[in-house]
Amino acid sequence: MIYVKDLSKTFGDNQVISHIDAHIKPGEKVVIVGPSGSGKSTFLRCLNLLEQPTSGTITFDGQEVTAPHGDINHIRQHMGMVFQHFNLFANLTVKKNIMLAPVQLKLMTKEQAEEEAMRLLRLVNLEDKADSYPVQLSGGQKQRIAIVRSLAMKPKVMLFDEPTSALDPEMVGEVLELMKKLADDGMTMVVVTHEMGFAREVATRVLFMDGGVIKEENTPEEFFSHPRDVRLQEFLSKVL
Amino acid sequence: MESIKSGFYQTFILDNNYQYFIRGIEITLLVTVFALVLGLVLGVLVAIIRSAHDQQPKNKRGIVLRVLNLLCKVYLTVIRGTPMMVQLLIMWFVVWASSRATDGNMVRCAVLSFGINSGAYVAEIVRSGIMSIDKGQMEAGRSLGLSYVKTMRFIIIPQAFKNVLPALGNELITLLKETSIVTVIGLKDLTKGAMIVVANTYQALIPYVAIAAIYLTMVMLLTWLLGIMERRLRKSDIR
Repeated sequence: MIYVKDLSKTFGDNQVISHIDAHIKPGEKVVIVGPSGSGKSTFLRCLNLLEQPTSGTITFDGQEVTAPHGDINHIRQHMGMVFQHFNLFANLTVKKNIMLAPVQLKLMTKEQAEEEAMRLLRLVNLEDKADSYPVQLSGGQKQRIAIVRSLAMKPKVMLFDEPTSALDPEMVGEVLELMKKLADDGMTMVVVTHEMGFAREVATRVLFMDGGVIKEENTPEEFFSHPRDVRLQEFLSKVL
Repeated sequence: MESIKSGFYQTFILDNNYQYFIRGIEITLLVTVFALVLGLVLGVLVAIIRSAHDQQPKNKRGIVLRVLNLLCKVYLTVIRGTPMMVQLLIMWFVVWASSRATDGNMVRCAVLSFGINSGAYVAEIVRSGIMSIDKGQMEAGRSLGLSYVKTMRFIIIPQAFKNVLPALGNELITLLKETSIVTVIGLKDLTKGAMIVVANTYQALIPYVAIAAIYLTMVMLLTWLLGIMERRLRKSDIR
């Protein structure tokens, strides 16, 4: 589904990602872990071109994402993204946050979008917040709405950039719960996270990134019980 | 007491002098409103071009964007670097040199001058608003597949506008009062009206204090309207 070939990204003199190859298959749940500054967020943001890679190619569903004059807006419609800081549109109500993109991109009429928004809000038990503004919500509520806002576009893959890192501890659970539900429904997911429990439970494959390269990738069982890379052993001993 | 009474009589009643003030208010408001509209349109356009240029990574800036950005920079430098009165004099005595000195021509000239001038200040105010919006808002819009322009229009500009409303109000108040310098091209605005009355009656106190009071009232009215607008826009901030 997503092919990454020889991907590199530098910020000035700082090489954040060097020559990464990866392949994400439909239905996979790939979890990327690693120390901060390892390039995992940058890698994820390259996938939908929020960061412009310095070199290398990314292909999504047969279309080259990195093509110089490709229609990136069209590709992004099929790649949902969830951010660490939620990034709900502060000037719009919850319902309008969800409706904006499908209506503006003419994928749904206003009525259809409204119906879909309410269905999604019921899914996360927040239908009573439909007319609230983002500032009136808790972090966990915001993130669940950010997730269903992406879902309203019916994406083929969802990218999660540390979705629980900015949450109070007691709100992490509700967001992970929703992500698990998505995973069970067969969504293809790429998740950058520090939640090792989630990686162990939900991932079909875990990648360990350090210094801009993928140091190790494996099934969660092998990854956590028999880590081979020295740096990964060290990392796991600190976080587990 | 008697002198104030006769002053009032001479300033407002004699020869229907009050009409200078009424007509003056009309001209002042006319110039202000149209200059405001022109300034806003120009300012928002320039602000969008400038921030689009600054937000785009270096290798993705098209030639058109670079040229537009350069033009905007020149515009901002020249307009903010020269006095309003000089701009007005150039506009009237150079650009409009061959036109007859009718009220209509002078109003058009004044609207254009003040609009262009105000646009430069509005541009920087709006740009500061656009820059103040968290980068994540743009990223969220783009990640959903919305174009740069649509994200700007539905997400960034409305939030930016709300944040800069107080500064824009300032600019509007300045504009309203600055229109008084149209007297230098002979347009009979409120200030010019008072000057004529003073020249006719040899009375300075009442006409000038009167227009001061009128300007003050107009500004207070404006402040009140802006307050209402701001409260309405702040709706999304109420917890």
